Amino acid sequence: MTFELSLGHFGMASILLAFALTIYAMGSGIVGALKQDASLQTSARFAAFAVFLATTTALLVMLVALLTDDFSVKYVAETSSRASPTWIKVVTLWAALDGSLLLWAWMQTGYTALLALVALNSALRPWALVVMQGVQLFFLAVVAFVITPFQVLPIPPLDGPGPNPLLQNHWMMALHPILMYLGFVGLTVPFAYAMAALITRRPGTEWMQPVRLWTLAGWGFLALGKITGGWWSYEVLGWGGYWSWDPVENLSFVPWLTATAFLHSAQVQERRRMLKAWNILLVTLTFALTILSTFLIRSGVLSSVHAFAEGPVGPWFFGFFILVMLFSFGLLALRWEQVRDRSEFDSVVSREGTILAGNVLFLAMGFVVLLGTLFPLIVEAVSGQLVTIGAPFFDRVTVPIWLLIFVLMGIGPLLPWRRAEGQTLARNLAWMVGGALLAGVLAYTLGVRRTYPLLTVAIAAYNLVSLGLLIAGVVRPRVRQGLGNAAAVFTRYAYENRRRFGSMVVHFSVVVMALGVAGSSGYRLDQQLSMPIGERATFGQYELLVTGLFEERRPYKVSRGATVEVFRDDQFVTTLTPRINLFGNSPQPVSTPSVRYTFWSDLYLNLAGTVDPHDPAQQSVILRVVQSPLVAWIWIGAVILALGTGYALLPSPRREPMAARESVPT
Amino acid sequence: MKRPLYAAAGVAVLAVAGWMIYQALYGSLVFFILPSEYAQNPAQFEDRRIRLGGIVANDSVTFDNDSLKLTFLISDSLKSLPVTHHGAPPELFREMMGVVVEGHFKEGGFASDNLLVRHTEVYQPDGKPIDNEALRRALY
Repeated sequence: MTFELSLGHFGMASILLAFALTIYAMGSGIVGALKQDASLQTSARFAAFAVFLATTTALLVMLVALLTDDFSVKYVAETSSRASPTWIKVVTLWAALDGSLLLWAWMQTGYTALLALVALNSALRPWALVVMQGVQLFFLAVVAFVITPFQVLPIPPLDGPGPNPLLQNHWMMALHPILMYLGFVGLTVPFAYAMAALITRRPGTEWMQPVRLWTLAGWGFLALGKITGGWWSYEVLGWGGYWSWDPVENLSFVPWLTATAFLHSAQVQERRRMLKAWNILLVTLTFALTILSTFLIRSGVLSSVHAFAEGPVGPWFFGFFILVMLFSFGLLALRWEQVRDRSEFDSVVSREGTILAGNVLFLAMGFVVLLGTLFPLIVEAVSGQLVTIGAPFFDRVTVPIWLLIFVLMGIGPLLPWRRAEGQTLARNLAWMVGGALLAGVLAYTLGVRRTYPLLTVAIAAYNLVSLGLLIAGVVRPRVRQGLGNAAAVFTRYAYENRRRFGSMVVHFSVVVMALGVAGSSGYRLDQQLSMPIGERATFGQYELLVTGLFEERRPYKVSRGATVEVFRDDQFVTTLTPRINLFGNSPQPVSTPSVRYTFWSDLYLNLAGTVDPHDPAQQSVILRVVQSPLVAWIWIGAVILALGTGYALLPSPRREPMAARESVPT
Repeated sequence: MKRPLYAAAGVAVLAVAGWMIYQALYGSLVFFILPSEYAQNPAQFEDRRIRLGGIVANDSVTFDNDSLKLTFLISDSLKSLPVTHHGAPPELFREMMGVVVEGHFKEGGFASDNLLVRHTEVYQPDGKPIDNEALRRALY
């Protein structure tokens, strides 16, 4: 018997090398930090780069195996297929459990290497790197010893099944998972710094400076990951919605909420040196929740439309989750004397008061979403009955909490630290409530009569007025000081205070998205129509005409569809082509909606039932027609959010001279 | 000190919130059952949202293309129930397939507004009886 070296061996060797180097990096990092040996610490940092090189090699090997149809590699044999076009083969890298964990491990090593490169030299750095490497050791171990995607098959199959057809159906699958993992992995860095702060007994403001940026980046990626996922589901799943309170969606939403809370409460620690323990708790919770949700999604414990199939990694992730909880909370208990706050709140009506109240609301929302997601497991354990929690529960509990958060979002940034002055507060509130009432009355007369959409419009106006007041508050005094005209002063302020202005942009984007959600969930029309070919049918303000059926054949898929002409007021508007795709040898047909995007309202057509252009007996098609007002503003809001987050991440041109003048000394 | 006052207020708020969450949770529970489970205790499942699972019985499917009314019998090994669904049958909908319908019981039958086809290998068409417990697990 001869031993032939194949790509699989090469990939496996790279992962094992990365694993061994990570152990070395942890060891030299710990010893180097304890002995304060600079050369050992440097050696640990260089090991981090070497690990990244090794995992990058492994990832490239997998990519080459996928692109060259090397079915002797287990993962390729299980998930890829020869007929897939090149971009699908690339995406297949993360289209199944094993590949996505390989990608995750790679990103983990990438973040560690980046941290080793950019982190400023401090007492925290070696320990933060050690924690990062501990996490990375877990992921590498899972890849190397549990899922073994590089395993070499003695008898390679001639072809594979190809990835899940739902994932092949849209290019967004190339982007959405990457953003999610960038977010999840990015949120490991704050955890690493929090642990480093506890280990070194430096829980003050020192760890906040680097962590703020890392959290913001991870948070932003996660937000975009979730919104792109929503857009994917809008474009692919055929029901004209973007969020269904599915367990997988919920479980990645919860750590995003705790990260959001932390982004706000971190400021309280920076300004007032309070909430030290609370912040460490939030960061730890965020990280632990990402591991918990990975466990729940990947182990098949929860049933979900887009959960991964049952895999062997479940117990490993659960064990790691327990380990993380024990380690971090144990450490927090040991260091309790150092993290206890020594100052107290002056007043609830202050910046820190609203931030804390907002934190409570974010955590409450995270708690009820987690509870609702896990409740079916509890019911089953107690009574044996199989249940699900419907979307109405999540809507009922989260919408009021969101509205309260929006109330705080409007007033919080206008309040000074420590204690608000009654007169200014009353004047600001008068403007904002006035704006809310005006918008509410206007919306009501225009026909918005449902409670939550109406409230959303009012609160959106209240927030827009608040943003206006914030900007006026910085522009007006400077114009009076003769620093230039309003536009020039504002531009300069926005340029110099990137963090502050970025946060305003992000708050604005949230308002935009809230309007999109209110419109599309409150005033959605959803109907199935039986449409005889060649006859017009009415839907809302539109008339629809099916002119014919068609079929398109590609090597890897067959599409059948209907050509639908859309008219409004007897004017031709557009042609839509909803279709049903069949991929490779998968029996599962995937209906692909066709959407007319507009700023005001989307028209969404999806085929229900069968379409066969070769069947002369088929005289009609059945269409699911959805009209979704304002839904486009969710995607527009996402772009604004990305821009605002990116802007806030840019390094300040100077050390925020104007912000220093504005702030109340603490 | 205002501490005890704050603590009492906090407990009260938590109690009210807990009660409201419990109510909302219980109100939104959607039971998943098979036809025979319904037959055992129909009263328990009336007037609430239910996910009903089972196999589409042979020769029971009718579909009216104009009114988009789909009717069929859904069965497990012991019991069959008539289902009325508004909407087209999904592409993979066939007789002897596992399906889950969501809706409520109405006049001895089930009115569905959501129909999902599930691939199950539980049912063997050649004569063997359906294993209800396996069917329950496979469709949930």
